[in-house]
Amino acid sequence: MFRRALENKQLVAGLALGTVVLLLGIIGPFIFGDYAKQSLSMTHKPVGTPGFMFGTDGLGRDLAARVTFGIRISLIVAVSVTAIAVIAGTLVGLIAGYVKGAVDTVISSSIDFVWGFPLILVAVLAAASIGSGLVPVILAVGMVNTVAIARVVRGEVLGISEREFVVAAKSGGYSTPRIVIRHIVPNIIPVVLVLSSYYVAVAIIAEASLSFVGLGAQPPLPSLGQMVSDGRNFLRLNHWEATIPGGIIFAMVLSVSLIGDGLRDLLDPRLRTAVERAVNK
Amino acid sequence: MTAIVKQALLTFLLLMLSSLAVFAAIRLSGGDVTAARLPASATAEDRELFREQIGLNKPILVQYVNYLGKVVRGDLGNSLTNNAKISSLATEKIKNSLILGGAAIVMVFGVGIPLGMLAASRRNTWLDASISSVSVAGMAVPNFWLALLVVWLFSSTLGWFPSAGQGGFKYLVLPSLVLAAEGIALTVRMTRSAMLENLSQDFVRTLRASGLSESRIYFKHVLRNSLLPIISLAGLRVGQIVGYALVVETIFGWPGVGQILVNGVLRRDYPIVQFFSLVLVVVVILGNLAASAGYVLANPRLRK
Repeated sequence: MFRRALENKQLVAGLALGTVVLLLGIIGPFIFGDYAKQSLSMTHKPVGTPGFMFGTDGLGRDLAARVTFGIRISLIVAVSVTAIAVIAGTLVGLIAGYVKGAVDTVISSSIDFVWGFPLILVAVLAAASIGSGLVPVILAVGMVNTVAIARVVRGEVLGISEREFVVAAKSGGYSTPRIVIRHIVPNIIPVVLVLSSYYVAVAIIAEASLSFVGLGAQPPLPSLGQMVSDGRNFLRLNHWEATIPGGIIFAMVLSVSLIGDGLRDLLDPRLRTAVERAVNK
Repeated sequence: MTAIVKQALLTFLLLMLSSLAVFAAIRLSGGDVTAARLPASATAEDRELFREQIGLNKPILVQYVNYLGKVVRGDLGNSLTNNAKISSLATEKIKNSLILGGAAIVMVFGVGIPLGMLAASRRNTWLDASISSVSVAGMAVPNFWLALLVVWLFSSTLGWFPSAGQGGFKYLVLPSLVLAAEGIALTVRMTRSAMLENLSQDFVRTLRASGLSESRIYFKHVLRNSLLPIISLAGLRVGQIVGYALVVETIFGWPGVGQILVNGVLRRDYPIVQFFSLVLVVVVILGNLAASAGYVLANPRLRK
């Protein structure tokens, strides 16, 4: 397994890229210090300015400090929301797919209801309802990702619960929890694992987009999306203000997608269609 | 056909439910209307009276029905920030968004399908590899980042297109390209795999054996079989484009529904948010309806 993982180029590339960004996010804020400190004589400085590795923004703030802290926020939001969505989505999907009947009808129609709406619209509406900030982003991404995962898990469970080994376990008189935990859950773990990496990517993009339009993380919190938004007005003067945070968002999304593709091929190439259907809406 | 009627009824129910949900969510926002509309010196009684006048103290369901009644009569209320009539704003914003969204949809299929066909017909060549890898990248690029890159390249550096605003064809190119990017990438992939799948079918072998030219097989028989499922799902692309339009219109300063909605949320201008979010919700639901109807029409087995 380990050797096969090392031979999987996408997985290795994704993990390598992801590790670099992760290290930046973990160590960076300790090295570069206060992300809000302004040096008003040092505005719009390019990359490589002494003391400011990534240069400074229009308020003379150290871009290295802001970008690395932004990575932290982005990753903490994306990973924790997805973790919750994975647990909740798997539970809901298991219940709908295994219990079937009226329970399934209610759950499936609620899933279809939410699934029809684009994530960004849901997030904007959440911001309209409870005010801008990271909370509406977390709620919207959490809800949409939970539904997305529940939808796939339900489908998988429906198929698996018809299979011989489950029927055999049932006729063997095993309890429902035992059947679900010992016979069904192990079979859905690969698809959930692969999906979760895609939904981390979705969460990163959603947080960055919302922050970009001003509805996500609010200043003085540094968010990568907001930095791209601030920097885009100074493309001619000092493009680094927008291209560094933007490039890092892209690197994060790319690394998580590569890990997802790699995991998919590693765990079970047959997952390809199931995953594409889920991700491509 | 009954499937479609059933779907239409279900959609109507869905429309009612989701517009009520959106309505309630935004009423919940707690943004104080009186702070925006009354002078700071207004007393608590004045504020209460004002709330009563505009019906804010009634149950949410009553407010919702009243609101729908007004919408049907064309009375959409006024913006809280500049007191503009929403009904006159609406025509212009919806028109602008339709132009942008329409251009994006045309691009999704007009660019995506030929590229996908090209990749399929040159399978395993450098051309196929480059089209496929660009389309993988196209799906991973967040669209505000893509927007920044195209503005930087085509506007700041080359000066070919304006970076923002509206007026004429030139202003439409960059925003619609960015809005369409993910859809193009997706269509390329779907077209390529559908073409390849159909090319390996038995009927293609039979057609070849009966002496039809390759190009005729390719364009007439294989293409038709491949495109139906792709185009029938166009409705799903509508939902996607609506979501992205919120970001893309804001970036490019395109005066459409997405931009006014985002600005409305930023300024807590709830009559604006109320109406334009309803517009988008309706569009998304109709898009989904079109997708499921198209799916049924394209799959004779599902028609009963």
